[in-house]
Amino acid sequence: MKGLFAVIMLDLKRLQTDRVRLISSLIQPLLYLFVLGSGLGASSVLGKGRYIQYIFPGVLGLSLLFSAVFAAMLIVFDRQIGFLKAVLVAPVPRTAIAIGKVLSGAIQALVPAVVLLIFLPLLGMHMGWLRFLGLLGAMVIAAITFSALGVATAARFKSTTVFPIISNAVLLPMFFLSGALYPLADAPHWLKILAHFDPVAYAVDLMRGAVLDTTFFPVWLSLAVLTGFITTLTWLATRVFASGEDA
Amino acid sequence: MNMQYAAIETRDLSKRYEKVEALRGIDLTVNAGEMFALLGPNGAGKTTLFSILATLRKPSGGEARVMGFDVMRERAAVRQRMGIVFQEPALEQKLSVRDNLLLMGLFYGLSMKAARVRTGEIMETLGLTDIAARQAQKLSGGQKRRLELARSMVPNPDILFLDEATLGLDVDARRSFWAQVRQFVRSGRTVFFTTHYMEEAEVADRIALINEGRIIALGTPRELKDRIGGGVILLATEDDVRACAWLMQHGHKPEASERGIVLVSTEPAAVLPALLTTLPVKTLRAEVHEPSLEDVFLTLTGKGLDNGEAVPPKPALIMGGAR
Ligand SMILES: Nc1ncnc2c1ncn2[C@@H]1O[C@H](COP(=O)(O)OP(=O)(O)OP(=O)(O)O)[C@@H](O)[C@H]1O
Ligand SMILES: [Mg+2]
Repeated sequence: MKGLFAVIMLDLKRLQTDRVRLISSLIQPLLYLFVLGSGLGASSVLGKGRYIQYIFPGVLGLSLLFSAVFAAMLIVFDRQIGFLKAVLVAPVPRTAIAIGKVLSGAIQALVPAVVLLIFLPLLGMHMGWLRFLGLLGAMVIAAITFSALGVATAARFKSTTVFPIISNAVLLPMFFLSGALYPLADAPHWLKILAHFDPVAYAVDLMRGAVLDTTFFPVWLSLAVLTGFITTLTWLATRVFASGEDA
Repeated sequence: MNMQYAAIETRDLSKRYEKVEALRGIDLTVNAGEMFALLGPNGAGKTTLFSILATLRKPSGGEARVMGFDVMRERAAVRQRMGIVFQEPALEQKLSVRDNLLLMGLFYGLSMKAARVRTGEIMETLGLTDIAARQAQKLSGGQKRRLELARSMVPNPDILFLDEATLGLDVDARRSFWAQVRQFVRSGRTVFFTTHYMEEAEVADRIALINEGRIIALGTPRELKDRIGGGVILLATEDDVRACAWLMQHGHKPEASERGIVLVSTEPAAVLPALLTTLPVKTLRAEVHEPSLEDVFLTLTGKGLDNGEAVPPKPALIMGGAR
């Protein structure tokens, strides 16, 4: 699609110049993996080694979620700096801008997550190629979902003051509800119900399925729900970009 | 294909934000190949009009066509044919001059190779080649504006919108900026611009004066000035308030402005000597000059264009400290 490539190119060129963001997005998940893994793992019935394996997909989810949403939040700066205006007066279909932003956010989120995969063997997780490809596929779907969520939200805002609110009031609850750190199967009933509305839960479950071979939701359901989320959110973002400065 | 279209045509165009009526029925025709200026004070609705013509905002009523295409129904066609320099900066600060232009090329559907060629051409014409690798945020004010102009020219547009494109530049930088723009007009294309520098507006083929969302006058710079006829007397006195009161009592229509008391007269040279001898307030300075666009605006609206930095034209006659 015309313009899609340009949107992605722009964001990647930008990421390239933003070393701080690149490095901090790598450090954060490592911290979570070892601190959470060692701290919580010591008291877990699964034992330390098993627990780290259990939360690994959860940490992948955390890393993907925050990197993707953070990348999307740069759209707000775009609006303020004005470059987005220059893009909006170019003959680029608004769907291309929305899809481009979603894909570039996903790519930016996947960079640190893929680096995290290097730690798989160190954690004593050895998987065959097929399984590894399954994990990669699940990560891509998760990244696109989170990025679509971020773009649909960020496209609406004109000020950066909402960042901490979104992070605390939306992202963290979504993450804790998702079963990233504990098995949903053993969770109380109300939590299970809430998890059914949480895209992070499906995404993490899909990745965990690839690593540990057990899923809470049926795989087809996760795929269907995530596809639905991605389509709806991207459509919402398209509409915001279409209204230009009147948004 | 309609060959005989106007570059810009609006009919009863209006725009309201929640509380503000920014445009109240704009009817305007700008011919192809024209250099057309829109002058008005802060908040008159200039940027709003630009945003609608550039397809960034939807009008609340009326119609607008750019290069023959409807700004609402044929947005892609309008976008493909126009370039715009916004009032506010719109550069990707972290990227180099070259990358800023290159990416714009991609956004306009050029292949990577074509975008490279186009970027090279434009940097060459606008004298940006030497600073091609410099980050946008490290450019001087003048260089930044030149890069914005370069960006607006990437799609090789038929029409260029310039919304206070030279704001804050020094005289030299402005001169070289407009030299580039004139080059563009000479090739038969259209420029629609706003400015707060009166001497920039003087070079326009035609000018529209806009105030509170309405076009209040339209014509060549000559025609506009002829509307108020004669000339303008500018007085600085020890007590402008008293002087104004006296002038009004004696059948004049003085306007107080930041330049002093402005008095429009059909025969200023004949009126002034008499005035100076009869005015009961001490005159510090008196000038007679040709009406400026500022004076036209002042006469039509009773207020200035709010162009703090504009230099008044050279006075034809100066009398210091006369009584
Ligand atoms: N996004 C907006 N929301 C609400 N009101 C707005 C918005 N943008 C502009 N206005 C109002 O619309 C009116 C016209 O504004 P506009 O920016 O078009 O003026 P302008 O002629 O470009 O002024 P300036 O010379 O200061 O750039 C003003 O009263 C302004 O306050
Ligand atoms: Mg303006």
